[in-house]
Amino acid sequence: MIKNYIKIAFRNLWRHKSFSLINIIGLAVGMAAFMLIVMYVSFELSYDNFHEKRDQIYRLNVDIKSSPTETMKLAVGSAPMGPALKADFPEILESTRMFGDGMLVKINNQLFQENSVFYADPSIFKVFSLQMIKGDPNNALKDPYSMVMTESAAKKYFGSDNPIGKTILVENKYPSTVTGIIKDIPTNSQLKCDMLYSVSTLEKMNPGRLEQWGNFGNFTYLLLAKGTNVAQLQAKFPAFLKRHISEKDRKNGEDYALFIEPLKDAYMDTREWAGETGSMSNVRIFSVIALFILIIAAINFINLTTARAVERAKEVGIRKVIGAIRHQLTTQFLGESIIICLISFVFAVGLVALLLPMFNQLAGKEICSSIFSHGYIFILLLISLLIGVAAGTYPALTLSGFKPIVVLKGRFSTSTKGTLLRKGLVVFQFTISIVLIVGTLIVYNQLSYMRNQPLGFEKDQMLTLNFGGDETVHKSFEEIKSEFKSIPTVLSATVSSGVPGVGNPNAHSKIENKEGTMQPTNINMYDVDYDFISTYGIKIVAGRAFSPSFATDSTKAIVINEAAAKSLGYTSPNQAIGKKFSQWGREGQIVGVMKDFHYRSLQTNIDPLNFRVNPSNTWGFTLKISAQNIPATIAAIQNKWKVLIPQRPFDYSFVDDAFNKQYATEDRFGKLFMYFSVLAIFISCLGLLGLASYSTLQRTREIGIRKVMGASIFGIVNMLSKEFLLLVIIAAVIAFPLAWLGMHKWLQDFAYRIDIGWWVFAVAGLLSLMIAISTVSFQAIKAALMNPVKSLRSE
Amino acid sequence: MIKITDLEKFYRTEEVETIALNKLSMEVGTGEFVAIMGPSGCGKSTLLNILGMLDDPDEGSYMFNSIEVAHFNERKRADLRKHNIGFVFQSFNLIDELTVFENVELPLIYTGVPSAERVKRVEEVLDKMQIMHRRNHYPQQLSGGQQQRVAIARAVVNKPKLILADEPTGNLDSSNGNDVMELLTDLNEQGTTIIMVTHSEHDARYSHRIIRLLDGQTVMENIMI
Repeated sequence: MIKNYIKIAFRNLWRHKSFSLINIIGLAVGMAAFMLIVMYVSFELSYDNFHEKRDQIYRLNVDIKSSPTETMKLAVGSAPMGPALKADFPEILESTRMFGDGMLVKINNQLFQENSVFYADPSIFKVFSLQMIKGDPNNALKDPYSMVMTESAAKKYFGSDNPIGKTILVENKYPSTVTGIIKDIPTNSQLKCDMLYSVSTLEKMNPGRLEQWGNFGNFTYLLLAKGTNVAQLQAKFPAFLKRHISEKDRKNGEDYALFIEPLKDAYMDTREWAGETGSMSNVRIFSVIALFILIIAAINFINLTTARAVERAKEVGIRKVIGAIRHQLTTQFLGESIIICLISFVFAVGLVALLLPMFNQLAGKEICSSIFSHGYIFILLLISLLIGVAAGTYPALTLSGFKPIVVLKGRFSTSTKGTLLRKGLVVFQFTISIVLIVGTLIVYNQLSYMRNQPLGFEKDQMLTLNFGGDETVHKSFEEIKSEFKSIPTVLSATVSSGVPGVGNPNAHSKIENKEGTMQPTNINMYDVDYDFISTYGIKIVAGRAFSPSFATDSTKAIVINEAAAKSLGYTSPNQAIGKKFSQWGREGQIVGVMKDFHYRSLQTNIDPLNFRVNPSNTWGFTLKISAQNIPATIAAIQNKWKVLIPQRPFDYSFVDDAFNKQYATEDRFGKLFMYFSVLAIFISCLGLLGLASYSTLQRTREIGIRKVMGASIFGIVNMLSKEFLLLVIIAAVIAFPLAWLGMHKWLQDFAYRIDIGWWVFAVAGLLSLMIAISTVSFQAIKAALMNPVKSLRSE
Repeated sequence: MIKITDLEKFYRTEEVETIALNKLSMEVGTGEFVAIMGPSGCGKSTLLNILGMLDDPDEGSYMFNSIEVAHFNERKRADLRKHNIGFVFQSFNLIDELTVFENVELPLIYTGVPSAERVKRVEEVLDKMQIMHRRNHYPQQLSGGQQQRVAIARAVVNKPKLILADEPTGNLDSSNGNDVMELLTDLNEQGTTIIMVTHSEHDARYSHRIIRLLDGQTVMENIMI
């Protein structure tokens, strides 16, 4: 019996090649797209899942409230917190701290800028599942200047030599010893780094650093005893802080609260300074898209199968007459749909294998190396079986329910109910497709808006050179600047602790507000020299920029932005001039207010910011260069660098590139969104093509009669296309408000955003109509051109 | 073998109720060859469908081999049908996707005959119908007469007690039509009961008895000599 079913199924597939092809391609593409998204989503949800004790690991988060209106939500704590928490609470079994840093390393007389280093406690190996290949996990990070490398870092620096016991010169002055090699940290980890440096090293380099309660900048992970009541533990933290923070510090206005967050939630939490984070909303959006694509593909399948029911009706009749009972026929048709799904599965596997490398590239990280890993192929198989059953059930029940005498007497025609259902499903498919088209248009618009919005500073031809805060550079930065400026195409030069788009510290400060009181604030801050404001073309709206002609500017002056003036209650920037401040040991006056400029991505508001002159805490140069012959200019700068700063590698980038890198996530999101929209509409159109050709086929006789009666080709094309175009129009009417709602919500994440214009809907509507017309009219024209004699005879 | 009493069948649409069978009673004995004749719309096909248990009557009794089957459910009817009744249609009704052999084999599959036995029986019947040389052809590759012979082969492969034929020669030329009638006669002589609906007086003469229907009622019975 089964053999007979399979035989019939394959012969049917073969006899109706184009239908089978449409079905199989649609399903395969849908399943492949679904699978890729599943891989992406499960990768995003798998961050730090590999740690054996993951359910007991928690990250310490801190909320800092510097004023009634200002709360900074940080993913980092301060250095003494971890050990103190462990000492105070027996349910905290371990604490481990990680301080991110970049450093210059010299190995075999070669210089490397290593930007992915953590100073870490030895307990890191007790908390996390980092696999030590060489060395002793208990001692590897115990002593100062001991260092553990990942396998690939070791390979990069030492080749095939055994690195254990080898010496590395850090920052040209700290000889350090390699004490261990660990397996590379998986991509789906927030702890990714190339090297671990002992925390005791940090204490040696920067005595007292580990005692600073108010210096937030390191991750703290806690290993809790099994069954710990987290809420109860957290409730004890306020008293803990009171015990440990001095009266003086508390009076200083810094008010902070501690929280712990399960490791599994840490990656999706977008707290500040969290390092690499994911986006739960993106994960949700893509999950929904994946599901929709799969549904669209399954709908095609249902539509094409039920549309072809007339052809199968005779077979059903015969089988019933011969003795088949309904459930045997249901099984047969269900089996057929499962076979189609299994064939699609094979194609889908091929497609995924083919597209995976590109998809990894698109995602910006290796989300999966092969479909054969993680049992993905079984998920796909299961899904294809599920579709086979889910999408096959309705046609199977309809087909097997035919009355044999009706179908065998040829009195059978497709029911209006079936036609209505098919139309409804087409509307559903196009609704989803149009929502996705509108979404794509809006995402791209927002991205281009963010890229092209005036930022309020010069971003073109601005070259930044990172010298890693090298002290020898600090000592002679003016001389080095003038050497650079001696290159004719270098127009201007400055040093600073940060540049727009790359990040900056917050400084706990007090600034005199409108009421005359010293208002505490965690203000964003740049250390700069006298040329920074002019080089970046930042406008001063009140007071003045820093100037060497005022001796106090180097120690007793800040320039704030308009946002800062506003947050202090000043209605006009002029009111802020001359007001007092105290910040990180400096006291003085506000000398100028600069116009707000976007020093961070347009996703965020322009927050209060201040500059102060402090060249000895700067990290890099910015050179404004001429647009002419940029490569020659860079070569000339590099030559100077080799002479002036030979101890540092030449490491440059352009400010606009670095700034736009902030949108990498959105770029990827936009691209993925677009590709999946294209897929959705492609699959929908496949279905439309199938339905149109089927409906045309059924109306061959009608077309013949109409032509004999004198209908024009245009008239017939029009007649055949109209019913489908109406469906697309209905879909658009449903899709527009849905798309508006969804995208309106998405845009709320951007502080600076576009308005959703009516034209987006017009374009999306026209686009889908055009695609639908070209799909349908191809079949319609073919039918209309057919010789009526032939089409009448075919009945 | 068959006894129907006061059989009624109505077709209802929203506005009209048509009576297809109006208190029809008749009997067919084992081994008989009965022809049913009458103008279009007289209820011939309805009667044949009810006799073949493809449709059920609204009123009345239908005894098949002394079992009341009038209100059997689909499953029971299908079971009774596949073991006892073979069908021959005017339009052959072969499955296009199956070869001659596979078409004939189908009823045996549904009655659960083991594979080796099936091959034997199908070959036997194909031989008898002189269509063995076409066993691997598809229906579209055969002439009308050949297709009807395959259909008859399919109808008899399960050795049914009753064959219901609905205008079996309607789509055939006279020579092929005669061949088919000869085949049916042979089957009847070997003991199979045959009930045949036909428009053709010529074909009806092959039967033992002609039942003439008009408006769902028997108007006349002729016994053929």
